[in-house]
Amino acid sequence: MRGHERDVTSAGQPPWKSPVVLSVLMHGLILGVALAGWSWSTPREDPQPPSISARLVTQNEPEPSPVTEPVDQPDRDEERRQEEEERQRQQEEEERRQAAAEEEQREQEEARRIQQEREREQERQRQEEAAEREREEQRQAEEEAARQKAEAEAKERERQKAEEEKRRQEEAARKAEEEKRRAEEQRRQEEAERKAREEEERLEAERKRKERERRLKEQQLEALADESEQQRQSEERQRREAAAAKAREAQMLSESQKYQALIRERLSQAWYPPSSATEEMTARLQITLLPTGELESVKLVSTSGNTAFDNSALGAVKSLSRYPIPDDRDTFERYFRQFTIEFNPRRLR
Amino acid sequence: MAWLLMIAVMIGSSPASAELLIRITEGADSAIPVAVVPFSESGDMPSGDKISSIVRDDLTMTGEFRPLSAEKMLSLPSKGDEVYFRDWRLLGQRYVLVGQLTRKGDRVEARYELFDVNREERVMGATASSSVNSTRSLAHHISDRVYEAITGVPGAFSTKLAYITLERSGGESMYRLQVSDVDGKRARVRLESDEPILSPAWSPDARKLAYVSFETGKPAIYIHELATGDRTRIADYPGLNSAPAWSDDGRSLLVTLSKDGNAEIYKLDIESGSLKRLTNHWSIDTEATWDHTGDGFFFTSDRSGGPQVYHKSSEDASPRRITFGSRYNARPRPDNDGKYVYYVHQRDGSFHIARTDLRTEEETVLTRTGSDESPSLAPNGRMLIYATKQSGNSVLTVIAADGGAAYSLPASQGDVREPAWSPIAR
Amino acid sequence: MNMTTQHKALALIFSLGLIAGCSSTGDTTEGADSGSDVSAVDQDGGSTVYGGDDEDGVSSSEMTEEQRQAAEERAERAEEQAMREITTFYFDFDTAEIKSEAREVLVAHARYLQNNPDQDVRIEGHADERGTKEYNLALGERRANAIERFLIVNGASRGQTETISYGEEKPAEMESNESAWAQNRRVELVFQ
Repeated sequence: MRGHERDVTSAGQPPWKSPVVLSVLMHGLILGVALAGWSWSTPREDPQPPSISARLVTQNEPEPSPVTEPVDQPDRDEERRQEEEERQRQQEEEERRQAAAEEEQREQEEARRIQQEREREQERQRQEEAAEREREEQRQAEEEAARQKAEAEAKERERQKAEEEKRRQEEAARKAEEEKRRAEEQRRQEEAERKAREEEERLEAERKRKERERRLKEQQLEALADESEQQRQSEERQRREAAAAKAREAQMLSESQKYQALIRERLSQAWYPPSSATEEMTARLQITLLPTGELESVKLVSTSGNTAFDNSALGAVKSLSRYPIPDDRDTFERYFRQFTIEFNPRRLR
Repeated sequence: MAWLLMIAVMIGSSPASAELLIRITEGADSAIPVAVVPFSESGDMPSGDKISSIVRDDLTMTGEFRPLSAEKMLSLPSKGDEVYFRDWRLLGQRYVLVGQLTRKGDRVEARYELFDVNREERVMGATASSSVNSTRSLAHHISDRVYEAITGVPGAFSTKLAYITLERSGGESMYRLQVSDVDGKRARVRLESDEPILSPAWSPDARKLAYVSFETGKPAIYIHELATGDRTRIADYPGLNSAPAWSDDGRSLLVTLSKDGNAEIYKLDIESGSLKRLTNHWSIDTEATWDHTGDGFFFTSDRSGGPQVYHKSSEDASPRRITFGSRYNARPRPDNDGKYVYYVHQRDGSFHIARTDLRTEEETVLTRTGSDESPSLAPNGRMLIYATKQSGNSVLTVIAADGGAAYSLPASQGDVREPAWSPIAR
Repeated sequence: MNMTTQHKALALIFSLGLIAGCSSTGDTTEGADSGSDVSAVDQDGGSTVYGGDDEDGVSSSEMTEEQRQAAEERAERAEEQAMREITTFYFDFDTAEIKSEAREVLVAHARYLQNNPDQDVRIEGHADERGTKEYNLALGERRANAIERFLIVNGASRGQTETISYGEEKPAEMESNESAWAQNRRVELVFQ
C-alpha cells in the first residue's frame, strides 16, 4: 500500500516539472533578464560628455534626445546605437571642416598682416631715403640735426626693433597660443574620440555581457531541461525499480496475508472473551516471535480497561505454542518478527 | 448461536504504523476449558455430591465453561505448588481450580486456588467455610468466586429459583410453589393448592415472594415471607389480580387488575394498599416490570391487535412499542443495565424466547425449543431460565443470556413452570 | 329471530342429540369433533333432551288448537332447553369474538336467566396453553366478559353474572395440538 502511494507520486509529475509550467518559467526568466539588463544600464548611459554637450549647444546643434524612456524592445537599442554613431561621425566631420576654415582664415589674416608690414616697411624706407636726401642736403647744416636724427633714427630703430621684437614675441606667443589651442583642440578631439570609443567599447562590452548572460541563461535553461529529463529518466528508473519492489512486496504481502489468516484463525479459536466483554473493549498486544514461530515476548500495549478481558487476550496469545509463520525469512522479518494483535469483539453472543 | 469468524486485517498505511496489525473480533466457538480438580479431603466429609463436582456443574450450567472430567487429568494437585502448567496446557486447559477441604468441628473449610494455565499465574486464592450440612452453599460460593475471577462478572450460583410445579392425577390438580438452588437442588415447597398458583416474583431483598393464587376460588395477589411463611393477601379485587412485579425499593408492586373493566396496570403501594392506575386503554395491558431506571416500565399490550411489548419511560409517559418482529411478543423482562429486553416471541407457530437490543432495536431469537415461556434473567444478566415443553411436560432450561448452551434442570414429577430467578441476596 | 334458521338449528341439535345419545354411554366428555362447531360439543345434552320428550310425548293422540299451541310452546321450551344444554363457547386464537353459531344458544341462556332472576351464572374464561400465562389470564377474562355482555344485552341482569378467568390453567384437553387448543379456547357457563 505504501508502494502504491509512491507509484502515484512518480506517475503524476510535480507541478514545477510540467512542460507548460517550464516554458512559462523560461519566458519569465528571459523577460526578467531583459528587464534586469535595462535597469542596470540606463543610469550609466544617458549623460553626454559635458564638453561635447556644451559645444553642441553653442553650435546650435539639435540637442540629442535623452535616453530616458526605458523602452524594453531589444532592437531599439541597436537603432539607437547606430544613430549615435552617425551623429558622432557627422560631428567629427563638422569639426574637421570647421578646423580647416579656421586655418584658412588665419592664414589669410597673416598674409594681410605681412603685406601691411611690408607696405609699412617700404613707406618707411621711402621716408628714410627722403630724409637721407634731405640730410645729404642739409648735412652740413644740420649736422646736429643729422646726429639727432641718427639718434632718433637709432632710437626709432631701437623702438622698431623692440616693437618688432615685441611683435615677434607677440606673434610667437600668439603662435604658441594657437599651437596650444590646437593642441587643446586636438586633445579635446582625442578625448571625445576616446570617450566615443570608450562608449562604444562599453556598449560593445555591454552587448557582449548581455550576450554572455543570455547564453548563460540559455545554458542554464538547457541544463535545467537536461536535469528534468534526467530526473524523468531517473524517476522512470525508480518507478521500474519500485514496480519490481512492489511485485516482490506483493508477493511477500500475499504470503504474509496467508499467515496472518492462519494466526487469526488460531487466535480466534484460542480466545475466550469473558462474559464482561463489551464491543467497546479493545486490548492491543505487541508480539515478538522467534524465527521458529515461538513466542519470544508479549507486551500489553493498550489495555481494554477490563482485567478479565486483558487476561483473556494474554491467555489466547500465550496459548499458541508455535505461531504459523512463513518460511521466507524476509517475509518473516518484515511482518512477523514483531506485530500487534488487537482483540475487539464485534459480535458478542 | 453459531460464532462467526469475522476478522479484519489492516496494515498501517503510514510508515509510522507500518507494523502488522491483526484484529481478532470473534472468540472461540466453544466454552472455556477449565479443570476443576477434585478437592483433597481431610476429616469426615458429609455424604452426597462432592464440592468440586457441584462447582463443575455450576460452571457447566453457564454455557461459558467446559470443565474437564476428572478421569482425563494427568495429576490431581490440591495446592498451588503441585500444579504443573505444562500438563494442563497439554490438556488444552485454560484454568485449573485446586482445593483442600478440612473438617473443623461441625464446619467444613475449603482452601482453594485458581490458576491461569497460559499466563502461568495464580488468579485467585481464598478460604471459605460452611456448616457440614450446607456444603452445597459452600460449593456455590466457590463457583461464584471462580466465575467472577475469570469473567469479571459476579456469579449467580448462590441465588435461588422460585417456580411452580403442577401435578395432575385423576382429574385432580396440585399446584406447588417451590424454592430451590439455581441447579434445582434443595427444592422446598412453600405453598400447595389444588387451585392455580401463578406468577411468583422475588422481592429485591430475595426474602419475599409475591404471587397469584386462586386458592379462594378467584385470583388474588399474596406476599409470602419465606423465612416465616407469613402471607398477606395484598390484592383481591373483582376480576383479574395478576402479574405482580416488585419495585426496586420493595415498597410497591406493579399489578394487573381488571376491576375497572379490563386488564390495566396499577401501582400498588404495599404498605397502604393504595393504587395508582398506570395504563388506560380498552386493550389488554398486563405483565408489567420496572425498567432498570425504576422510572419506566415494560408491559404487554394488544392495543395494536396482538400482544406486543411496550415501554413507558415514566408512569405518565405515552407507551412506545418495542417489538415488531412477529404478531406475538409478550411478558417482557429487562436486564439490569437497560441494554436488552427479553420476552416470549412467536414465530412460525411456535413460541421462543427472544430479546431485543434496546439501542439498535435488533431482535434475536435465543431458544431453539418451542412452547417456550416465562423467561427470567439471572441477577448477573448472564443466564436466563425459562420453561419449555419436554415430552409433554413443562421443564426448566437455563441458557446463556446471549443464547449460548442450554442446560436443563432435572425435572421433578409433572410440570415445572414459571421460574423466577432471585436477586443476589442482600 | 329468523325462524328458518331456528328450525334448522333445532333439527340439527335433535339429530345430533340422537346420535350422541345412542353412541355415548356415560363417558361423554371424550370423542368430540374438533372444535369450533357448536354441535360438536355434546356434553350429555342429548340424553337429557330425550328425557324431556319422554315425559310429555306419550299421551298425545289428537291435537286441539289449545293442545297444538301447548305443543308448540312445549316444543319451543324444549328447543330452548336443548340449546341451554350447550354451556361451552369456543374462540379463535387470541380473540374474544363470539362465533355466530353460539349466538342463538347464548340468547336462550339470556332468556332463561331473564325468566329466572334467582338463577346466577358463573362465566369462566379459558385460553389455550400457547402464549404467556398472564396474557392468557387477561384473554380468558376478555372472553368471559364478551359472553357476559352478550347475556346482559339479551336479557340477563348484571347481578346474575360473575366472571372469572383461569387463563390456560384449566384446559379441557390435555394434549398439545390444534384440536386440543381449539377445545381449550373457551368460555364455560356454570349455573349455580
